Amino acid sequence: MIASIRSEWLKLRTTAVPWVLAVIAAAVTGLLIVTVFVNGGRGPAGGPGGGPDQRLGTGAVLHTTQQLRNLAGAGISADLFALLLGVLCVTTEFRHKTVTLSLLVNPHRPRMVAAKIVTTALLSIVLAVILLAVTVTGGGIALSAQGGSFTNLLHQVPAVAPGMIVVFALFGVLGVGVGSLITNQVAALIVCLGWFLIVEQIIQGIWNGTTRWLPTGAAAAAANVTRGRGVHVALFNWWEGSLLMLAYGLAFAFLGSAILMRRDVT
Amino acid sequence: MPAAIEVRGLCKQFGTVKAVVDLDFEVSSGRVTGFLGPNGSGKTTTLRILLGLVSSNAGVATFNGRRYLDLDDPVHHVGSVLEATSFHPTRRAEDHLKTVALAAGIPAGRVAETLELVGLSDVARRRVGKFSLGMRQRLQLATALLGDPEVLILDEPSNGLDPQGIQWLRSFIRHQASLGHAVLVSSHLLAEMEETVDDVVIVSQGRLVLQTTLLDLANRSGSSSGLRIRSPELDRLGSLLEGIPVAYRQVASDTLVIDRATPEWFGPFAAKNQIVLYEVTHERSSLEDVFLDLTQGYEAPVPGAPA
Ligand SMILES: Nc1ncnc2c1ncn2[C@@H]1O[C@H](COP(=O)(O)OP(=O)(O)OP(=O)(O)O)[C@@H](O)[C@H]1O
Ligand SMILES: [Mg+2]
Repeated sequence: MIASIRSEWLKLRTTAVPWVLAVIAAAVTGLLIVTVFVNGGRGPAGGPGGGPDQRLGTGAVLHTTQQLRNLAGAGISADLFALLLGVLCVTTEFRHKTVTLSLLVNPHRPRMVAAKIVTTALLSIVLAVILLAVTVTGGGIALSAQGGSFTNLLHQVPAVAPGMIVVFALFGVLGVGVGSLITNQVAALIVCLGWFLIVEQIIQGIWNGTTRWLPTGAAAAAANVTRGRGVHVALFNWWEGSLLMLAYGLAFAFLGSAILMRRDVT
Repeated sequence: MPAAIEVRGLCKQFGTVKAVVDLDFEVSSGRVTGFLGPNGSGKTTTLRILLGLVSSNAGVATFNGRRYLDLDDPVHHVGSVLEATSFHPTRRAEDHLKTVALAAGIPAGRVAETLELVGLSDVARRRVGKFSLGMRQRLQLATALLGDPEVLILDEPSNGLDPQGIQWLRSFIRHQASLGHAVLVSSHLLAEMEETVDDVVIVSQGRLVLQTTLLDLANRSGSSSGLRIRSPELDRLGSLLEGIPVAYRQVASDTLVIDRATPEWFGPFAAKNQIVLYEVTHERSSLEDVFLDLTQGYEAPVPGAPA
């Protein structure tokens, strides 16, 4: 398995995929930091687990624990990039037909999917750590400039880091699952973005109370490992949410593997 | 002992297209087997079934009695070059090989070795997207050789190779066979394979037409040679030929063809009968003609051709 993971990582890093995703995710996180400051410490709008409204006047120094947590955990809003990493890890191989070679080396298809799941989960954790570093550095500099306390921000990292790591890893797993089910790259990307940006909003609008069962709701719950993102009565608790996310990811991966087993690679 | 490659009763249907129909053949170690057939005759499909990439509807395809999917370390047993190129364009040649080496537990040194073997050492660090067709083909061969397999499956490997490349490929293939490896090479041109193969498996429309040795095929072509004779005295020649057991036919006002005749027989015959001759041509049908004959009638209709 370790050999397969190293091979998967080599395959990924010799494409633009992980680098482009990391750069865009870092840029998005940077923008969110700015948003946090402009909103005076309110969580980034739309991001899962946005904290309760604690709006201060614009330009006021962030100082409450919740404000600092929202700042430290701003990267969580870029969790969809872990999903994209998983999707691209699979669909790039189909797009360039390198899957033929991958299957010649390892003809056991579910094992190939499993290797991609583990690799993507690990890389997603690395992405979470990178984004944490971006928020701490960027947010820390901005905070210090306003006369806030960098140390206090640093102290909030242990509160938000576990949630981010869990959510990123789980989104990575889900991405591989979706990618192995929908191997066409463009179709898979459209389905993912369509689902998370449009369909989920519509479902939540029509059936109130479904939120906790949807992937975004489950992810938001999973992010609360340390209750670092505030408590949401409408959501599951963190481990329930994590299990639900994992169940989604594995369900797609199983379904994808089963269909892949029967698919002719021509 | 089971054959290096064995195909038994193989069938594959894509929708309504019968790509492979009840196909049987064997490939022995230490020999080069040409897998020949016109476009769309099911060669690629058969090879992909062998390699576990495409499922079959019936039949078995095995290496030493085991399916590809059941081989413990497939790239150490079977090396393959398939038709559709599968490279990521931004990946460097070296890294392309390393992805396989890593996954299959092949030592890193082998990567440089195989690049050297196919003559790509100078471009090892170049991105494959910038490679020419022939360079890609060489890289595919290098990939197939990484695990030093005892069976090689090559689907139209000479695609895109220049004359030197084809020459090199021939000697490479012969060398592999001399090491005792089994080589199965597909092609739609027999002429291209004449100097390389020991055995031939000829397919058409997914069915086996003939499995035999190249020698036997060559004998068949020798036996179907004939003489083409141009003469102003065809009428007299014709009546003389009536008296002996040969088949002949007139093909133009002054030309006739005598089947299975040799100049050694016809020369004295014409002299004795004092026939004026303008031209005598010994026509040997080439291997290619035999191949065309064998696959004729099976041939897929050419799109746009008059029915
Ligand atoms: N994935 C597929 N879906 C549908 N039909 C297919 C598929 N792959 C092959 N076929 C059909 O199966 C038949 C055999 O094709 P195949 O590629 O095996 O022929 P081939 O002998 O390799 O031809 P060529 O010499 O052109 O490479 C053709 O009629 C082809 O259209
Ligand atoms: Mg083919």
